[in-house]
Amino acid sequence: MTDAVLPAPIVKAAPDRERLAAFGFVAPSVLIIALVFVLPLALLLGVSVLDPKGGVTVAHYARLLGTPYYLGVIWNSLRLGLLTTLIAFLISYPAAFALARARGALRSILLATLFLPLAASVIVKAFAWTILLRSDGLINTVLIAVGIIEDPIRMIFTQTALIVGAVNIFLPFMVLPIYAVVAQLDGRYAEAAATLGASPLVVFFRVILPLTLPGIIAGVALVFSLSVSAYVVPTLLIGEKYPTLATTIAKAYLLAREPGFGAAAGVVLLAIAIIVVALSAMLSREPK
Amino acid sequence: MSAAPHLVISGVSKRFGAATVLDRVDLTIRRGELVTLLGPSGCGKTTLLRAIAGLAPPDGGTIALAGRDVTHVPPHRRNVGVVFQSYALFPHLTVAGNVAFGLKVRGAPKAEIDRAVERALSLVKLGHLGSRRISALSGGQQQRVALARAIAVEPDVLLFDEALSALDRKLREEMQVELRRLLQEVKATAIFVTHDQDEALTMSDRVAVMNKGRIEQLAEPRELYARPASLFALNFVGLSTRIAGQVVGGSNGTVEVVTPVGRLSARGAFQPGASVIVATRPEQLRLGTGDGANSAAGRVRSVVFQGSRTLVDVDAGAGASLLAELSGREAELPRVHDEVRFAWPVAETFAFAAEAS
Ligand SMILES: Nc1ncnc2c1ncn2[C@@H]1O[C@H](COP(=O)(O)OP(=O)(O)OP(=O)(O)O)[C@@H](O)[C@H]1O
Ligand SMILES: [Mg+2]
Repeated sequence: MTDAVLPAPIVKAAPDRERLAAFGFVAPSVLIIALVFVLPLALLLGVSVLDPKGGVTVAHYARLLGTPYYLGVIWNSLRLGLLTTLIAFLISYPAAFALARARGALRSILLATLFLPLAASVIVKAFAWTILLRSDGLINTVLIAVGIIEDPIRMIFTQTALIVGAVNIFLPFMVLPIYAVVAQLDGRYAEAAATLGASPLVVFFRVILPLTLPGIIAGVALVFSLSVSAYVVPTLLIGEKYPTLATTIAKAYLLAREPGFGAAAGVVLLAIAIIVVALSAMLSREPK
Repeated sequence: MSAAPHLVISGVSKRFGAATVLDRVDLTIRRGELVTLLGPSGCGKTTLLRAIAGLAPPDGGTIALAGRDVTHVPPHRRNVGVVFQSYALFPHLTVAGNVAFGLKVRGAPKAEIDRAVERALSLVKLGHLGSRRISALSGGQQQRVALARAIAVEPDVLLFDEALSALDRKLREEMQVELRRLLQEVKATAIFVTHDQDEALTMSDRVAVMNKGRIEQLAEPRELYARPASLFALNFVGLSTRIAGQVVGGSNGTVEVVTPVGRLSARGAFQPGASVIVATRPEQLRLGTGDGANSAAGRVRSVVFQGSRTLVDVDAGAGASLLAELSGREAELPRVHDEVRFAWPVAETFAFAAEAS
């Protein structure tokens, strides 16, 4: 028996005229992308290295990367992003499986609880957390009323409050992409692996995890880039004590009137997000 | 082939809610034997296969494999190979990665894995495709990778659930022959699930005909065809002429039956008065009035030429019909509307209890 021959690729090198026509179709969207995304980026980069007195300068970058205070700021952003992403992932991964396994009304209710908060603004949700966590807030009031504690516990303006709030607010962006992949996962893969001798743990690490990686990468990319650059969440839940790149940028533009420095901080923030997202995508490649 | 029982299924039952899907199934398979589970959709074939694999433990009964009671052993400690209808090849691994999977998770040394993968892939004639992605394979190639993956671990029994049904007809027929040759080559014990009777007859040493969660008959293909044990088995495998009638007498394993086409003799043991179906295979019918044979007459309704054979359908009156298979060389084939008489041997005529329906 001969092997079934795979069909040759049907896409042939298009004649120049066809290519030109194809370019005509994509040109408008290329233009829009250039205007909306590339142009602002170019401006940001430009402003960050231009000296108002003329010429080019790296002074803003030197200040950011050379001052212990600003290195601390960068670390704060990174920490916020990494911790939020990690905790959100640990919660979301099992949650996505539970969601995919749920049937009927339960599934609709669970999905709604994930989707509905997306309709509310970040500011509203962050404020909701301050109401819960304040010294005279809901949690403390209840705990005191029930008699579990006598004096209010300090919860607001702590790093715990920051991370808890950030995880809560960005959680849907982790659950949904993972859920989308898990819901499509064919149970036969796990069964096939089991019959081949893989214990449940091995099935998980060698089959389930690699097959759900695309969802994990999407979730990590979304949640990390959202949380590393979050502005409202740290501002409302922890404030001055925890300066991040995002709050530093805001200060540079709004208070200090240092657009060059703000732009440089913006570029650093963007670079961090891109590097971490690219790294997570690379690490997730199945090692050969 | 040794006669030692290799897979012993005794009294296996399975219920889903109120429905009994497997009803005290008994099945014993010898080492190196290829057995087909043949039956209509929903009769429990997949469920039985999953019980053997450990993917769906039975509610009752026991399963012993290679001398070990595996009834409550989880699938990863059973050493069974399964080829799924959808193949379930791991899309994140290459062809070789899929075939190596079973050995890798068993912690086999790398050199041994490489050797086994190479051997399994060359057995299925895919030696050159080891580094391919699964998505870059044709359906027939995927089928063979699934087979290579299952045999690479040298399982005690190989289970195929409609493994060929996703292939087109020509490829499927080629694979049936090749698969049988290959399974004999590696001396595999295998169970093949199908609802395609031709596949069952081609592939297997023995066929188990399943109906409503029970095995109706377990026999070699020839015997199954020539000596069906029940009306269901008769209907499910091959064509037949069936005429309803009433037993009026009989002796020595032969009954006399009054039917709309006349008095017929058939093998079977029934009390006078019993309602039975008298049946025979189409190739037993011959034109004419054979001596001491059953015979019936009627008007030809249709003649279907099929190359080496011709099927003749005869209206024998009173709702009865005769189906005859004549060889293409038969001098004078009847034509539509001809009045004809057929005869067939009593020894090839069976009586079955008419199903109360
Ligand atoms: N997990 C399950 N839950 C409930 N009922 C089930 C389940 N699995 C199978 N059944 C029922 O059990 C019966 C037998 O199913 P099974 O899949 O074994 O049939 P089958 O003989 O393989 O049929 P087919 O040829 O269509 O594949 C069917 O009526 C089916 O609906
Ligand atoms: Mg089935």
